[in-house]
Amino acid sequence: MAKKIVAVTACIAGIAHTYMAAENLKKFAKKEGYDIKVETQGAMGVENRLSQSEIDAADVVIFAVDTNVQEPDRFEGKKTLKVGTSEVVKDGKSAIDQAIALIN
Amino acid sequence: MSSKLSDFISEKNIVMDLHAKTRDEAIHQLALILQQNGSVSDADDFYHDVLHRESLTTTGIGNNIAIPHGKSTSVIQSTMLFAKNSEPLAWHSLDGSEVNIIFLMAVSPESKGDAHLRMLAKLSGKLMDDDFVKAIKSAQTSEEILKILKS
Repeated sequence: MAKKIVAVTACIAGIAHTYMAAENLKKFAKKEGYDIKVETQGAMGVENRLSQSEIDAADVVIFAVDTNVQEPDRFEGKKTLKVGTSEVVKDGKSAIDQAIALIN
Repeated sequence: MSSKLSDFISEKNIVMDLHAKTRDEAIHQLALILQQNGSVSDADDFYHDVLHRESLTTTGIGNNIAIPHGKSTSVIQSTMLFAKNSEPLAWHSLDGSEVNIIFLMAVSPESKGDAHLRMLAKLSGKLMDDDFVKAIKSAQTSEEILKILKS
C-alpha cells in the first residue's frame, strides 16, 4: 500500500511560499507514488485542513514551515520532518525522500 | 466566485521591457508602475516593504524567476505585476540562478482571504508547474503572457 504523508505548509507572509511548497510536495509525492494531503496555513487561514483521522493514519508528517504550526498538538507522537518552505520550493523531491527515510 | 488570474490582470499588469540593472532598481521601477496603475498609493513606501520581505529570505525561487512581494498599507488593491527584465539580475536565488522573470505581488493588509489574495496563492502554486514555467519563459509578448495566465 502506498505510504501516506500529511503535511502542513506555512510561511511568514502567507502569500506565496506556503502555496508553492504545498504544490511542490504534492507534485513529488505523486511522482514517487505516495498518498499526500497538504494543509496550508497562509494568509487565507487554514485550508484543506487535516482531520485527526487523516493525521492518525499517516505514516509520516512533513512540516514545511518558517513559522509556528497552528494546533501542533494534533501531530503529537507522529514521526515528523521539519523543513523550511524555501527548501521545499527548491527541492521537493529531497523533502519527500527525507520524510520517507524517517520511516524506512 | 471565480478566482481566475485573468479576472484581475490586464495588459497594464505586464511589463515586457524592464531594463533594470539591479534587483532593487527592478523592484523600485515596478513599484512606480503599480503607483501609476493606481494599485499602490506610495511607491517608495511599498518598495521598502518589499525590500524588507526580501531581507528575510530571498524570493528568487530558482529557474530565473523571482516573486518579490510586500504586504503594505500603501497597497490600495492587492494585485500583481509580471515583468521580464532585459538582462538577468543577481537575486540570491535558491538555485543561484540570475533572475529575468519577476512576479511582483502587492498585498493589502486588509485583503484577508479575499479573491485577490487567492489569485496570488494560485499563481504561486502554478510556479511549481514545469509546463507553466516553460510557457511563461518562452512568451515574447504581453498578449502571450496574458493568454498563459488565463489558461
